[in-house]
Amino acid sequence: MKHARVLYHMVRADFLERVRRYSFLLTLAFAAYLAWGSATGLIVLRLGEYRGIFNSAWLGSMMTLVSTLFVSLVGFYIVKNAILRDEQTRVGRILASTPMSRVFYTLAKALSNFAVLGLMVGVLASAALLMQFIRAEDTHYRLGTLLAPFLWVALPAMAIVAAVAVLFETLPVLRGGVGNVAFFFVWVTSLAVSDQKGVDDFAGFFVIARSMQEALKKVYPAYDNSFSLNIGDSAQITKRFVWTGVDWTSAIVLHRLLWVLVALAIAVVASLFFQRFDPARTWSFKRVKKSQAAAGANGDALAAVASRESRPSPGHLTPLGKTSNEARFSQLVVSELRLMLKGQRWWWYVVALGLLIASAVSPTTAARQGVLTAAWIWPVLVWSQMGARESRFATQALIFSSARTLNRQLPAVWAAGVLVAILTGGGYALRLLVNGDWHGLLAWFAGALFIPGLALALGVMSGTSKPFEAIYTVWWYLGPLNHAPGFDFAGSTAGASRPAFYLAFAAALIVVAYVGRRARLAYA
Amino acid sequence: MKLVIDKVSKRYRGGNWALKGFSLELNPGVLGLLGPNGAGKTTLMSILATITRATEGTVTWNGTDVASDPDGLRAVLGFLPQDFGVYPNLNAVEFLEYLAAVKGLDSATSRRRIDELLNLVNLTDVRKRPLGGYSGGMKQRVGIAQALLNDPQLLIVDEPTAGLDPEERVRFRNLLSDLAGERIVILSTHIVSDVEATATDIELIAQGTLVAHASPEDLLRQVEGKVWEWVLPSAELNAAKQKYLISNTARRSDGVHARVLADTSPGGAQPVTPNLEDAYLFCLSHHRAGAAA
Repeated sequence: MKHARVLYHMVRADFLERVRRYSFLLTLAFAAYLAWGSATGLIVLRLGEYRGIFNSAWLGSMMTLVSTLFVSLVGFYIVKNAILRDEQTRVGRILASTPMSRVFYTLAKALSNFAVLGLMVGVLASAALLMQFIRAEDTHYRLGTLLAPFLWVALPAMAIVAAVAVLFETLPVLRGGVGNVAFFFVWVTSLAVSDQKGVDDFAGFFVIARSMQEALKKVYPAYDNSFSLNIGDSAQITKRFVWTGVDWTSAIVLHRLLWVLVALAIAVVASLFFQRFDPARTWSFKRVKKSQAAAGANGDALAAVASRESRPSPGHLTPLGKTSNEARFSQLVVSELRLMLKGQRWWWYVVALGLLIASAVSPTTAARQGVLTAAWIWPVLVWSQMGARESRFATQALIFSSARTLNRQLPAVWAAGVLVAILTGGGYALRLLVNGDWHGLLAWFAGALFIPGLALALGVMSGTSKPFEAIYTVWWYLGPLNHAPGFDFAGSTAGASRPAFYLAFAAALIVVAYVGRRARLAYA
Repeated sequence: MKLVIDKVSKRYRGGNWALKGFSLELNPGVLGLLGPNGAGKTTLMSILATITRATEGTVTWNGTDVASDPDGLRAVLGFLPQDFGVYPNLNAVEFLEYLAAVKGLDSATSRRRIDELLNLVNLTDVRKRPLGGYSGGMKQRVGIAQALLNDPQLLIVDEPTAGLDPEERVRFRNLLSDLAGERIVILSTHIVSDVEATATDIELIAQGTLVAHASPEDLLRQVEGKVWEWVLPSAELNAAKQKYLISNTARRSDGVHARVLADTSPGGAQPVTPNLEDAYLFCLSHHRAGAAA
């Protein structure tokens, strides 16, 4: 009983702290947007040219799939800051000094994540009910039928996402940008495996899809088993059928509950990696190793400085006078570039160099579709610092009290980002230049301007690196990797790239970054 | 060189006034800014450092309104905020080189300056260590160094000695005194002894308003003949605290030695020489009594 009370208060405090932040309104706005998109036909669940009549079963299941597809991806990035927040607010150190166990802590964080995601699911469930009322294709309201897929499919899926977010936060290698990028690929892979192998995936697609497919096949034997939840292709739906919902057998329910157990297990596993905010463990492993090695070789120089003999009189400080020259803009760009690349390990440079050389020497098609694509995902964590670094490291007061920070420092950050794009993707550009492929070169150039523009705008507006890491990874996956029309910013699709659009987009993003930074300064 | 603060007010969201009609004129020297928690010191510093905009009133630097030309002030400003971060993967030299570039210093000047500053703040030996491994006091010294990078004419330091060991505190006080001659230094702190050691002028601030602006000598003069050392049994201390303003106590073999602020001697107490802490508490208690009345 005492444990339950402790757990309740830990979850409650964390949940209240989240929902009382302005950013939570954005979270609810996102859920509301998904609901609106589903109601207006922007988001469409279709089986070939068919869709179900908007009855309680269809709407409940459709909104459930919207929840598990979109909320499971975006929700991860929303909730993956529960432990980080305790670290940043220093509340974690207080908690660490209490008898709280590590398992309790990670379970509480997973439950709090689940509560936030559950609230988003709740918005969509309410929207499903409202949608049935508004569309009025079937006026028999069956609350149990409508809510059952939320209960058995959406909530277990959210439990998995909630627990995985905690696990990622406790694993040193996944808690930062690497984890943000990696989750997208884990998410895509898990859905793809379910699609191809027909297994019960965590998102519950298979359970609902199979039921719908079987029902439709009985009515229209010619139906080809296609099943999709898409954005914006409602025009392809020409026929409707009646679907009465999944038959929630005990086997299906147990299977879904198994995912809840898996989520609990993940939260427990996360506790094994949770270090209770030990400052000696939370800083970079690389640095700890380095400083230990140095201390071993030379004695502890830090301690030596602290205990050195008294030298209370300050040293000499030469007045700068009026002769000192003002730094060139290029000097600031180099400083920004150095800051961006600082902390990268040697192998990061080796891979970057390898991709640069490979893009220069590979055949044009391979360079365009393979090497350039890889070369421009490799520095994603370098770009993602742009615009967000001052907020992340609390250096705003130092930077923003300097002269012309808006007109010098901000453009310098962007220019450094462009240099990273040029340095990593330059081999391919050289090849295009040699081949005289001017259109390809223009598309490449647009990409080199667009990526840092996107990073800077998202970094400045959000103050964190997460939105860029998530959005850019998805964009890169859709465009350069899978050649989705309109998404290819890198010119990797021969003849289908849109350099003019991305040049304009880059310019617009720079304006957004400028306006966003200007709004954060007391005086522009 | 003149900084004029004219009827400056700051209201935060929710209608809470952090500063109300604050006016002050500053010339070269060290201004010690003293006040209790929540007095508005950090808000005032943020406004002067162009981080926050005043809701009402103006700040002028050498006759120019800071709102119309913030960069005019920023170019000659050194600012050490109370809370600031560092980039943990950079070492002290790289971090200062970066900030020097942001402040617009050329490479050669910044290199020379950084060498001097690191020596000044006693970090030369660890200059190549990543900042992520620095202690709180060492980071604070990096903060002091960055504030002096551009040889500022206006130096604003908010709780600069927080986290410093006694030796480094003495070094910093001496540094401030040395720097004060040809620039305006604003020092905000809770540590009265820091102000006592360096300030040429003192400003007492409470509840967003100016309580007193005077030289240390003038402030001390206000409590001349009002500070007493009273030896009393331990059991009577609580009763004495209810009746008198006590600035300090020390337990000795003959009882508790209480430092009492009062117009007349309480029960045979002996007069003692007032210090700045006595003056600070005296002014604040008078202000509170006035506000309550």
